[in-house]
Amino acid sequence: MSPLLEVADLRVHFPVGGGLLAGRRRWCRAVDGVSLALAPGETLGIVGESGCGKTTLGKAICRLVRPTGGTVRVDGEDALRLRGGRLRRYRRRVQMIFQDPAESLNPRQTVGQILEEPLRIHRRGGSTERRRRIAELLDQVGLPRGAADRYSFEFSGGQRQRIGMARALALRPSLIVCDEPVSALDVSVQSQILNLLLDLQDEYHFAYLFISHDLAVVRHMSDRIAVLYLGQMVELADRDELFAQPLHAYTRALISAIPVADPEARRERIVLRGDVPSPIDPPPGCRFAPRSPLPHGEEEAARPGRWEEVRPGHWVEVHPATTGDLLPEA
Amino acid sequence: MNPITRRRLQHFRSLKRGYWSFLIFAAIILVAALAELWINQRAIVVSYDGRLYFPTYASQYSGEEFGQDYPYEANYRALKEQFAAPGNPNWVLMPLIPYGPDESVYREGSFPPYPPSARTQHYLGTDPLGRDVLARLVYGFRIALGFSLGLMACTYLLAILIGCAMGYFGGWFDLTGQRLMEIWTNIPFLYVVIILASTIPPAVGAPARIGALLAVMVIFNWIAMANYMRTAAYRERARDYIAAARVIGAGPLRIIFRHLLPNTLSIVVTFIPFTVVAGITALTALDFLGFGIPPPTPSWGELLQQGTNRLDAPWIVASTFVAMVVVLTLVTFIGEGIREAFDPKKFSYFR
Repeated sequence: MSPLLEVADLRVHFPVGGGLLAGRRRWCRAVDGVSLALAPGETLGIVGESGCGKTTLGKAICRLVRPTGGTVRVDGEDALRLRGGRLRRYRRRVQMIFQDPAESLNPRQTVGQILEEPLRIHRRGGSTERRRRIAELLDQVGLPRGAADRYSFEFSGGQRQRIGMARALALRPSLIVCDEPVSALDVSVQSQILNLLLDLQDEYHFAYLFISHDLAVVRHMSDRIAVLYLGQMVELADRDELFAQPLHAYTRALISAIPVADPEARRERIVLRGDVPSPIDPPPGCRFAPRSPLPHGEEEAARPGRWEEVRPGHWVEVHPATTGDLLPEA
Repeated sequence: MNPITRRRLQHFRSLKRGYWSFLIFAAIILVAALAELWINQRAIVVSYDGRLYFPTYASQYSGEEFGQDYPYEANYRALKEQFAAPGNPNWVLMPLIPYGPDESVYREGSFPPYPPSARTQHYLGTDPLGRDVLARLVYGFRIALGFSLGLMACTYLLAILIGCAMGYFGGWFDLTGQRLMEIWTNIPFLYVVIILASTIPPAVGAPARIGALLAVMVIFNWIAMANYMRTAAYRERARDYIAAARVIGAGPLRIIFRHLLPNTLSIVVTFIPFTVVAGITALTALDFLGFGIPPPTPSWGELLQQGTNRLDAPWIVASTFVAMVVVLTLVTFIGEGIREAFDPKKFSYFR
């Protein structure tokens, strides 16, 4: 099947400091060469610590930040070159659900106005038709129809996120970028929202790019999972494969950090040294090497790893500091 | 109405000083707007030969229409005295203050300014040209307020457009705009006004002069507000609801007007009363210096100037001074109340 979304070597570098008269500009390499593909109706989970570039990746795909390199293709169309009417058509296909529903809903608009906005912009139907569609959207996300006349801040966190979902659904997109859609919510509400996301996908068959720092959540949602570290992808595999046989030391550390609801459980806990290095001037060579628990030489660390498909559909950054002995370095 | 806005208005109502000032000021504006009905040389109602005439807002009636021997506009005060003769069925109802703002009244045997007197119905006296001070105060207030509101509308329109655009687009547009604004603020406003006042030929009528003055003041006044709007837009555009608007395909104009502006409007609302005060004060100052609205248009600045020149007629400067203090205090109290009621820390959308 031809992919719905194809991202190749995407780079988003932000200039840091510098200015008109300052000499060398430094760059924050938020996303530094990420490639991925997403089939229609599929869910790709993106995990990583905060600051690893997950959100920037999602925003770049939604054309909210301008990538400094690489390509994004949706249905084979180069999304980064679109302007005007073609960009507007692109917006219909790619939508986003934001992390903090309180921040992402205009406090000056009623829920009805918020949901009508995309329909107006894309000239979907007359006012009665739009009103019918708004009621339909509210039904789909499980909100009462009376919500249309109220303001978003009158609702609870979970309900607000449902409003955000209804807005993303309004244009019947084929890809929805979910940027940590439940991390701002109470745990008790999270599962409701996640299951609603799954139900909606079953019904409308759109693809999700599901960004989260919570591996348990990503496991629940995704078909495949990509692990991001310092703006680079370090491992990509089917969900079950990734959890059964994580190859990258970073992935293993993340998985070992998932809390288990069993006080008796004895597990090996891999604790990484230090913090995530700054994406401004990241370590040369293998970016994970300075924190790696695996033995490796300094010269080796200065060499970058290789992005390899070690098993069918299982890609990993191969390097002594990342995969160690699990894979013989070819 | 947005429940937050409703709560803010309720809070404003509960701030007694600001709310009462608002009510009084609203009453003053209403009374001033209807000034023709209670300060006017034209009668409210004239009953002549069994017919009723309402000259206040109507076209002029000549003296001949009321049986006088002159073809120019009827002198209603004289008519009233004439009709008051016993046996005359005609009558005239004059306004409370039967003088117009531009009308000079001379009494035989003495020179103006005449002191306040209830008998002559010059309750605040007259100015050195024999014009009623109260009439000039009220009509002058009306003009100053109208000018100030017009100034505010134009200033805000320009400031909001440019400020929001700078804040929203950022980058080079913002940088260049800021530098131009800095240069612009260094041009002395008063010189420009003086040059303007002295270069406009005398043949140019008052409306054109007022328009030119308004334009110059707008050009010099928009920058402060634009800075506030720029900062507000800059802060708001980083928020997710703006990103969300972009994702659903809203263009820059739509984002600025439908998303940014409604969320920064409380800043504008807070500034409105102070801008009105500043407008009135600025116009009064310019009039005082003689660079403002051309005479004989009634204005507080002109009254102040006359009053300070004629301190032997203290009623001129005293009444103008009191009027200014009252109006400026009221509006400042209103502004204070609005500022507190619209304080984003009090009723926030995000808690």
